[in-house]
Amino acid sequence: MEPIKKGLDQVLKGASVVLFALLVVIVVWQVFTRQVLNSPSAWTEELARYTFVWVGLFATALVFSERGHIAVDFVVDKFSPRVQKVVAVCVQLSIILFALAVLVYGGLRAANGAWNQSLSALPTQVGVMYLAMPIVGVLIAFYAVYHLQAVLRGAEEAIAHEEDPQVV
Amino acid sequence: GGGGAGSGVTILRVALNQTETHPSYVALANYSDRLEAQTDGRMRLDIFPNETLGAQAEVLQLLSDNIIDLGIISGSQMENLSKDFLVLNMPGVFDSVEHQMPVVHDPEIVGELYTSLEDSNDLTVMGGFTQGSRHIYVKDEISSLADLDGVKIRVQESELNLAMVRALGGSPTPMAFGEVYTALQSGVLDGAENNEVSYFTQKHFEVAPYFTNSNHLVGLDYMVASTEMLENLDPADRQLLEDEWVNTYLDHTELWGEATQEAIDGARAGGAEWIEIDQAAVQAALEPLADTFLTTPVQRELYDKIRAAAPSQEG
Amino acid sequence: MDPIALAAIVLVGTIVIGIVFSVPIAVSIGLGSFFAAIVLLDVEKAALVSSQRLFTGINSFTLLAIPFFVLAGVLMNTGGIAGRLIDAAKVLVGRTPASLANTNVVANAMFGAVSGAAVAAAAAIGTVMTPRMKEEGYDPKWSAAVNVASAPAGMLIPPSNTFIVYSLVSGASISALFMAGVIPGMIWAGACILVVLLTYRRFSTPQPPSSVTFSEALLVIWRAVPSLLMIVVVIGGIVSGIFTATESSAIAVVYCLVLGFAYRTIGVSDLPKALLDAARTTAIIMLLVGVSTALSFVMSFSHIPQAVSDGLLGLTDSPQVILFLMMIILLLVGTFMDPTPAILIFTPIFLPIVTSFDMSPVHFGTMIVYALSVGVITPPVGNVLFVGARVAGMGIEPVVGKLIWFLLALVGGLLLVIYVEPLSLWIPEMLGLLGD
Ligand code: NA
Ligand code: NA
Repeated sequence: MEPIKKGLDQVLKGASVVLFALLVVIVVWQVFTRQVLNSPSAWTEELARYTFVWVGLFATALVFSERGHIAVDFVVDKFSPRVQKVVAVCVQLSIILFALAVLVYGGLRAANGAWNQSLSALPTQVGVMYLAMPIVGVLIAFYAVYHLQAVLRGAEEAIAHEEDPQVV
Repeated sequence: GGGGAGSGVTILRVALNQTETHPSYVALANYSDRLEAQTDGRMRLDIFPNETLGAQAEVLQLLSDNIIDLGIISGSQMENLSKDFLVLNMPGVFDSVEHQMPVVHDPEIVGELYTSLEDSNDLTVMGGFTQGSRHIYVKDEISSLADLDGVKIRVQESELNLAMVRALGGSPTPMAFGEVYTALQSGVLDGAENNEVSYFTQKHFEVAPYFTNSNHLVGLDYMVASTEMLENLDPADRQLLEDEWVNTYLDHTELWGEATQEAIDGARAGGAEWIEIDQAAVQAALEPLADTFLTTPVQRELYDKIRAAAPSQEG
Repeated sequence: MDPIALAAIVLVGTIVIGIVFSVPIAVSIGLGSFFAAIVLLDVEKAALVSSQRLFTGINSFTLLAIPFFVLAGVLMNTGGIAGRLIDAAKVLVGRTPASLANTNVVANAMFGAVSGAAVAAAAAIGTVMTPRMKEEGYDPKWSAAVNVASAPAGMLIPPSNTFIVYSLVSGASISALFMAGVIPGMIWAGACILVVLLTYRRFSTPQPPSSVTFSEALLVIWRAVPSLLMIVVVIGGIVSGIFTATESSAIAVVYCLVLGFAYRTIGVSDLPKALLDAARTTAIIMLLVGVSTALSFVMSFSHIPQAVSDGLLGLTDSPQVILFLMMIILLLVGTFMDPTPAILIFTPIFLPIVTSFDMSPVHFGTMIVYALSVGVITPPVGNVLFVGARVAGMGIEPVVGKLIWFLLALVGGLLLVIYVEPLSLWIPEMLGLLGD
C-alpha cells in the first residue's frame, strides 16, 4: 500500500499546484477581459468555478492522506493508549463510511440524475462535473484504509497531532 | 412521495427563490390556504422561500427525485434541460402579460412542452407566474434606440441575452444581480434591463433614473412539479391541486400588477423618469433573433403558435 | 416518534459524538446530515441530497477568493514581510510606554491587513519579537501573551477568509463585511494596547523611549508601504465595484508576486510550496463548507432553525438578552472549535433569530467572527495560543496565566461590538455598501 499512497500523494500535489496556478490565470484573465478589453467572456467564471471544485476536492483527498482535516483531540488525548487505538479505528471507519456512502454512492446517484442538465456556458453537463465526488470518494476511502492498517500495525500514532496547526 | 407525514395529511414542499414579501410567495401562501380549507386540513403546502433548499438548478434535481414536490423555476434553468423552453423566453415572443398568461396555460399550445420532461426527468410543468415586461433603463437620458449605441447594459449571462442587447445596439455586460447597483453607481455599467418591480426594490432608480418602455421581453417563472408526486396523489386531490393552480396564477397576475404599479409610483417619487422610445423599432431589431436561436421545427412551430395568439396579430 | 424530532436528535447526536471522539469535524457534520436525511427521506435520497448539496456548496465563485487570499498571505510571508511591518509599527508607537509590546500589537494588526492568517501572524511576528523583548527585559511569558492576544486582530481586519465564509452562509455582501470589520479589528488591537498600558509595569524594566530620526522613519515606512498598499488595491477595488471579492483576491496574488520579484524576496522555486499551502487550507475550508451546506439543507427541511428560534424567543423577547446568550454560546463553542466550522453550524440557526429583531446580517457577522476569534487563543483548542507559545519557546500554561486580562479586555471589546451597532455599520453605511 505504501508505494501506491506515495505515488498518489505526488500526483495530487502536482495537480494541486498546476491547477491552482491555472486558476489564478483564469481569474486574472476574467478581470482583464472585463476591465481592459471591455468584452467579458461568458465562460471564464464557470470554468474557474468547476476547476476550483475539482482541484479543491483533490486537495481534500490529499489532506485526508496527511490526516490534516481539523478534529478535536483534547478529549481523546486523555484516554489510555489502548482506547485511543480503538477510537482511531472508529474514526477511520467513519471516514470510509462518509466517503463511500455520501461521495461515491450519493455522488454517482447525483451524477446520474443531472446527466442531461447542461451547464450555462461550458459545453458539458452538470452530471459530468459531479463525477469528481465518486472519484475523490474512492481516494479518500483508500487513504482511510491505509491509515487504519497503519494504526493497527502501530506504524502511525492513534492521534495525529498537527505539526503546523492553523486556524480556519 | 407527497411528503405525507402519516395520518393521511399531504404536505407538499415547495422551493422558491424569492422572499416572503414577493408576489410569488404571497400567491403560493394563498394557494396553500385554499387547499387546506377545501380538504379540511388534509392537504397544504410547506413553502421554502429564499432558496433555503438550494438554487434552482439543484431544485430541479431534487424535484426529479421527489425529494421536494413543487418548485418555481426560471426559464433559463428549464432551457438547460430542454432547448424547447427557449421559445417562451425569446425576446418579442409575447406582446404583454395579457398575451403571455393565457398562452402559457393553454394545453393546445404548451401541453406537449409541459409533459416533455416526464419520461426523461420525472418533471411536469403545471404553468407559470409572469415576471412582467422587461425594459431597459439607463444612467444618462436617451431618446431613441440609436442612443443605445455602445451603452454598457447588464444582462443575465446567456448567449440569447447577450445577442438581445447587441441587437438593440448596446454593449452587453453579464454580471451577478447583487453587484448591479454598485456597478451602475460607479459607472462600470451604463444601464440594465429588468421589470419595474426589481428596478424599484433594488433601488436601481437611484443610480439609473431613465426607464424606457423597450418591452423587449416578458419574463416567466415555471411552476414545476415532481411527476412521481402527481401520480401518487389521490385523483381527486390531484384535480383539486390543478384547479386551484388556475386560481393561483390568476391571483399572482393580479398581485404582480399591483406590485408593478407600486414600483412605478415609488420610483417616480424617487426621481425616476419614464422615457418613450419607438417600440416598433425594438420589435424590428429583435425579430432576427428568432431565426438565429430557434433552429428546430418544434421550436419554430411553438413560436408561430404563440405569435398567432398575440393580440397584435388579431387586431 | 415524530420523524422531524428524531432527525434532529440523530443530527445533533452524530455531530457531537463525532467531534468529541476526534472524527474530523467535516466528516462528523457530513455523516450527521446524511443520517438525519435518512430519517426524513430514505437511504438513496439521503445520499443523493447530501452529495448534491455538498457539491453545490463548494461550487461558488465567492469561495474561490479564499485560496487566493491565503496564497497572497503566504507569498507576503515568504517575502519576509514581518520584519518590515515590525519596523513600521515601531515608528508609529515607539514613543509609547512599553513601546516594544505595543509594537508587537500594531505589527500583528498590520499583518492582518495583508492576510487573515492569525497563526502566521503569531508565528512570524512572535519569532522576531521574542528575542528583542527578552533583551529589553520584558517577562517572556507576558511577551508571548501580548503576541498571542493581538494576532487574531487580522481575522477582523480585511481581507478576512472568516468573513468570506460567513458571507457564504449569510448572504451578506463581502464588501460590506470587510468594511464592517475595520473598527472591530481596531477595537481588538486597542483592547490589547489598553491591557499593555495598564499592566506593563509588572512585567518589564523601564526603558527609555526609543527615538527614531525623521529620515530613519521615512525609510522604514517606505519599505513597508508597498506591502500595505495591497489592502488599498484590494479594498478599493471591491468597494468601488471594479472587482468582485474573488477578482480582487486574484489581483492581490499578482500584486504580491510582482512585489516579491521586485524586492527579490520570492523566487520561482518558492511558488510550488506556496501554492500547495494555499491548496491545503482551501481544501480544509472547502470540505467544511460543503458538508455544512448539506447540514443547512437538512435543518431547513425539518424546520430546526424555526424550532430553536421559537424556543429562544419563548424564553425572552429581549433582543439584548438573546444576543448575550448567543455571545456566551459562541465564546464557549470557540474554546474548542475553529471559527469556520462554528460559523457554518451556528449562522443558519442564529441569523434568522437576530434578523427577526432587525439586526443587520452584516452586524451579526462582526459579532460572530469576533466572538469565535476569541476562541483561537483559549485552551483547550487554540492554535494561535499553541503556536504563539511554541515560537516563544514555552508551554501554553505560563502564557494562559498572563492572558487573563487580555481575554477580559477582548470580551469587553466584544460587548461594545455587539451593543454599539455603528462600530460595525458606520463605515459600510458611509460607503453605500449596505443596500436596503
Ligand atoms: Na485580515
Ligand atoms: Na479555544
